[in-house]
Amino acid sequence: MSELATTPVPSSLWQPRGAWEGAATRGRHGASAGAAGIRLTLREGQGLATIIAADGREADLQAILAERFGLSLPEAGATTFDGERGLVWSAPGQWLAVSPERHGLREWPAALRDVAAVTDQSDGRALVRVSGRSARALLAKGVSIDLHPRAFGPGRAAVTSIAHIGVQLWQRDAGPTYDIAVARSFAGSFWRWLEHAAAEFGYEVV
Amino acid sequence: MTTLALQSAEPLGSTAHDQPFRTASGGLIDRNRPRDFTFDGKRLTGFHGDTLASALLANGVRLVGRSFKYHRPRGILTAGSEEPNALVELRSGARREPNTRATMAELYEGLEAASQNRWPSLAVDALSVNALLAPVFAAGFYYKTFMWPASLWEKLYEPMIRRAAGLGRAADAPDPDIYDRAHAHCDVLVIGGGPAGLSAALAAGRSGARVILVDEDFVTGGRLLAERREVGGGSGAEWAARAVAELQSLPEVRILSRTTLFGVYDHGSYGAVERVSDHVAVPADHAPRQRLWRIVAKHAVLAAGAIERPHVFGGNDRPGVMLAGAVRTYLNRYGVLPGRRIAVFTSSDDGWRTVADVLAAGGTVPAVIDTRTSVPPQLRRMAEAAGARVVVGGYVAGTKGHLGLTAIQVVDGYDSTETIACDGLAMANGWNPVVHLDSHLSRKPVWNEAIHAFVPGTLPSGMTAVGAAAGLFTLSGCLESGARAGAEAATECGFSAAAEPAPATDPESEGHTPLWRVPRPKGKAFADFQNDVAASDVELAHREGFRAVELLKRYTTLGMATDQGKTSNLAGLSIMAELTGKDIPSVGTTVFRPPFTPVAIGAFAGHHRGKDFRATRHVPSHAWAEENGGVFVETGLWLRPAYFPKAGETDWLETVVREVETVRARVGICDVTTLGKIDIQGPDALAFIERVCANPFATLPIGKARYAVLLREDGFVLDDGTVARLAETHYVMTASTANAAKVMQHLEFCRQWLWPELDVQLASVSEQWAQYAVAGPRARDTLRRVIDPGFDISNEAFPFLASAEVTVGGGIPARLFRISFSGELAYELAVPAAFGDAAWRALMQAGLPYGITAYGSEALSVMRIEKGHAAGAEINGQTTARDLGLGGMLAKKKDYVGRLMKERPALTDPDRPVLVGFRPVEPGARLRAGAHFLALGAEPSLEADEGVMTSVAYSPSLKSWIGIGLLRRGPERHGERVRAYDPVRDADIEVEICSPVFVDPKEEKLRV
Amino acid sequence: MRIRCPYCGERDNGEFSYLGDAAPQRPDGLDASAEAMHDYVYLRDNPAGTIRELWYHASGCRSWLVVTRDTRTHAIESVEPARDVARARRSGEAA
Repeated sequence: MSELATTPVPSSLWQPRGAWEGAATRGRHGASAGAAGIRLTLREGQGLATIIAADGREADLQAILAERFGLSLPEAGATTFDGERGLVWSAPGQWLAVSPERHGLREWPAALRDVAAVTDQSDGRALVRVSGRSARALLAKGVSIDLHPRAFGPGRAAVTSIAHIGVQLWQRDAGPTYDIAVARSFAGSFWRWLEHAAAEFGYEVV
Repeated sequence: MTTLALQSAEPLGSTAHDQPFRTASGGLIDRNRPRDFTFDGKRLTGFHGDTLASALLANGVRLVGRSFKYHRPRGILTAGSEEPNALVELRSGARREPNTRATMAELYEGLEAASQNRWPSLAVDALSVNALLAPVFAAGFYYKTFMWPASLWEKLYEPMIRRAAGLGRAADAPDPDIYDRAHAHCDVLVIGGGPAGLSAALAAGRSGARVILVDEDFVTGGRLLAERREVGGGSGAEWAARAVAELQSLPEVRILSRTTLFGVYDHGSYGAVERVSDHVAVPADHAPRQRLWRIVAKHAVLAAGAIERPHVFGGNDRPGVMLAGAVRTYLNRYGVLPGRRIAVFTSSDDGWRTVADVLAAGGTVPAVIDTRTSVPPQLRRMAEAAGARVVVGGYVAGTKGHLGLTAIQVVDGYDSTETIACDGLAMANGWNPVVHLDSHLSRKPVWNEAIHAFVPGTLPSGMTAVGAAAGLFTLSGCLESGARAGAEAATECGFSAAAEPAPATDPESEGHTPLWRVPRPKGKAFADFQNDVAASDVELAHREGFRAVELLKRYTTLGMATDQGKTSNLAGLSIMAELTGKDIPSVGTTVFRPPFTPVAIGAFAGHHRGKDFRATRHVPSHAWAEENGGVFVETGLWLRPAYFPKAGETDWLETVVREVETVRARVGICDVTTLGKIDIQGPDALAFIERVCANPFATLPIGKARYAVLLREDGFVLDDGTVARLAETHYVMTASTANAAKVMQHLEFCRQWLWPELDVQLASVSEQWAQYAVAGPRARDTLRRVIDPGFDISNEAFPFLASAEVTVGGGIPARLFRISFSGELAYELAVPAAFGDAAWRALMQAGLPYGITAYGSEALSVMRIEKGHAAGAEINGQTTARDLGLGGMLAKKKDYVGRLMKERPALTDPDRPVLVGFRPVEPGARLRAGAHFLALGAEPSLEADEGVMTSVAYSPSLKSWIGIGLLRRGPERHGERVRAYDPVRDADIEVEICSPVFVDPKEEKLRV
Repeated sequence: MRIRCPYCGERDNGEFSYLGDAAPQRPDGLDASAEAMHDYVYLRDNPAGTIRELWYHASGCRSWLVVTRDTRTHAIESVEPARDVARARRSGEAA
């Protein structure tokens, strides 16, 4: 066996590939008149993890989160955020932890040992932020839930589907600004829907 | 009125002289904005605000189409969505749209319309000889006429009927437009924008409730736009405009114009289609052509109005015969005289309103024929003062004219007939409330004898009917009931709303006694214009026993096709009632179902057409596969690389053989990310796995993986996969690509419903991890260049079925499993999906010195067949673990899903087909999956059937076709020969039964 | 149809998948009889009227739900988390 054959492959090969790569193109698209009604911000490199409370340990989980990370557990259909770091309700006893840094949740598994199962999902989801004056009208084309301010506002979250693709979405501000997480393998198809739905408003991808 | 006309700065263009039937003034059209259009190639001009129908009438075009069966000349009957006759092809090329109602098509510059169902031209239609063959085309002709010989159906009868009887032609190119879908939610949904609907929307909207008003018209106001009525001291149209303006100023009110609410569904769900761009030649930049709305409302106010009823008399289908309400619409809203001499045929007071409107527009009224013996004297005086001949207690028996009406034959109360010249006839036989929408949830309308019409019965919960839709035909009744219902609906939603007093209206009389058909018609008297069903067809159906309302519909086609009998159903029912001596409610009505009016399939599809028909999932190596000429195959939603042709390879088999041979001799990698991956954690993780898997896991140590088989509770195999133990209470399970979602759902069912006491946490990590099979004698050598130094993956340290958490690329967490689907020394390496692309490229580079190949799902499949591994074709929902040769591994001492039911006698019958292998006796013969096994010499029959070939492949290792399949008592019959009989593909091959493991049966390669 | 998920709120029925009657209870354990298991797997009531049935909120929170529904009108009386129902049943059995 040659020497070459036993040496590791060059470390330069190990570049992460963005979940939207090959699907989204930055720039202005769709209807060209006036200011774009939609702004799509690709959010790569976030840290994500599924947090599932062990049976009967929700109070302990709550306490540790507050003490260690300064976050409280949101109730069903809600989020709690401290800046860009936070928790999004996903299912009974289950949350999606979000961190702006890929390794921002590294300490969580150990910190939550025995009170919750922590599962890294940083690569499992493609994240996009939807804002702009037509953001609500855009999402109304996809989600069957009511996004009217009387029914859904900043701090609200939902697990549902858009164009037959499962999504988790949560509202960040009253702008309105929404974050949407979609399973990574569906990113291309989801983006096709997004382009279709956003085109009439004019949209920019940043 | 003119103040309401749509304003425009366009210069004066066309004038009325181009449009001989346009009134001098009035109407809601913009006379400053002429619109050129063509009909059957002829250039015509109308105005902005016209429909195609009103513009045609303004130009004196009365003949618009030919009827469905008899090719009779037909004109425009109505001014709304109920139109049965005036169906045209709109636009051209890829946008050509058949069967469009001219009464609904908004006129735009350059509109192209063509008449349908005529040949060679509209005026001279050769097939109108069908009318001479009317006896042949009578009710039930399909069932009677072309019975024999049956062989002529496809070649002769059907093409002939399709040519003779039909509607328009669909476009033959893909629709270039965008169709959109959207969801909307509200407190109060108001269906219909007439006086009742506007009142309801105002009352609800003023309270702050979220209101959606859906109106199918392009100007909101309903009959207020069509009648010369007073509301609140001004014209009805002005009041409507003010109401619309106020609604538009309310932030929580949305008006959806050009939108038809077509369906009512359970629990307050509604379907509507908005014609966003139907009124322009080409949609604006990126604008959709139509948008399908899914509306969810807490309350709905049904204000859909009513549809006027025609009279059934001879020649009632002649162009020029029109519903009286439609005549008034053309006069008042569009400033168009549908004729210069318009007679009125009425059974109700409101028909008489037509007289004043015709006169006001500059036409004359030669006669008014009222079927009633007594009419209010002031109506009679008004008509006689205008010089009209008034016939009371008489009827119109027939009509004259070649391609349009020239005269009517009137029978008076003394049975004497006179002919009266006219070019228009307005018929008023009362109104039917639109009961379609409230009937969509299997609710039946009920008969109201006072108004001689069906009205809504028990309404769907949360729905109120108001105005004409509820049988309240007076304007004051519409305004008042709408306001009350709107306020009540808002109140129920928690808003403080009170109905303000309805605005005052001018007086009206509403007497009405319908005449269901005239006693002695002259000529064919149509009940259903669109389907060419005459009163005589209903009589025929009665004579032949098709009397039940559902049979009447099917036998005569009454009420079918695009208008679904909106103008015809009651006519048919009333005749059948008379013939059977029953009253109308005893005859009943047919069931109304969505959609209310036709909806383009494109609107339902929306974004989901072509490649976007359904979602596509991409594997992490997708980009590399595309760059390297990979050929993809759809597997469920996944697009998987099937094989990777190299330059010079001429067919897929050559490529697949090369990939298999490379894996067996060297090394290959395959993307198996499509497998389901489920993290199972928690103190009861093991107990949970023990109950969902049929084989034992109690002894599985940390750092090991094991094959897993899951049964359904009925004893059949659900899926197979692997379970690896990563830590004391942390496992990861894989499920097959096809069953991944099903398995997750099953596990959640077990966790939540069967054993809620188990403390176990399930998380799907299918998307988190890219997973690659690295297989072949040089797999370990390849991996060593990828896995970070410090992890010992030697055979001793990391033997067959070992598993470990490792790192790659200098600290990237990864999971390594030594498992094999191919039968070679093999691993599965899982890396975070973002590094999936990098890991694939790294593996390809690492394996370069060893001659690595990428292989796809085809080679994967060949190798699993060579190893006799069951997959989707074998785990097909009808096989047990024993059938698949897995019986021996099942646990004996634990309870698990499927444990008891797999022991049912039928599932343990030794005669059941069991998995074995097959080789063709004749070298080189090709095997076919799906072939059935028969004993040599046996006649093919169900009884003789011994099983089925489930999977076949050309085996590069054996240089022969091989197969695996399920054969009765298979394992006892190695060496025996049977027939693989495949009559579908004309194959009948002798095969020899063998072990399903064709390659390395001692499993030595796995363990080196 | 609209189903009010106890966690997610009212959703279109397209988000759910249907299993069927929630009445049969799995006879657990090694001493369960084949007859009891047969009844659990195959015997179902099919009433015209109120039925408690299992639905799965597949496109939402992945909760199994016990929906009490009138099969004649589709009117939904209540929706409960299946896990709560199952736990209550278990504690009832234990008591």
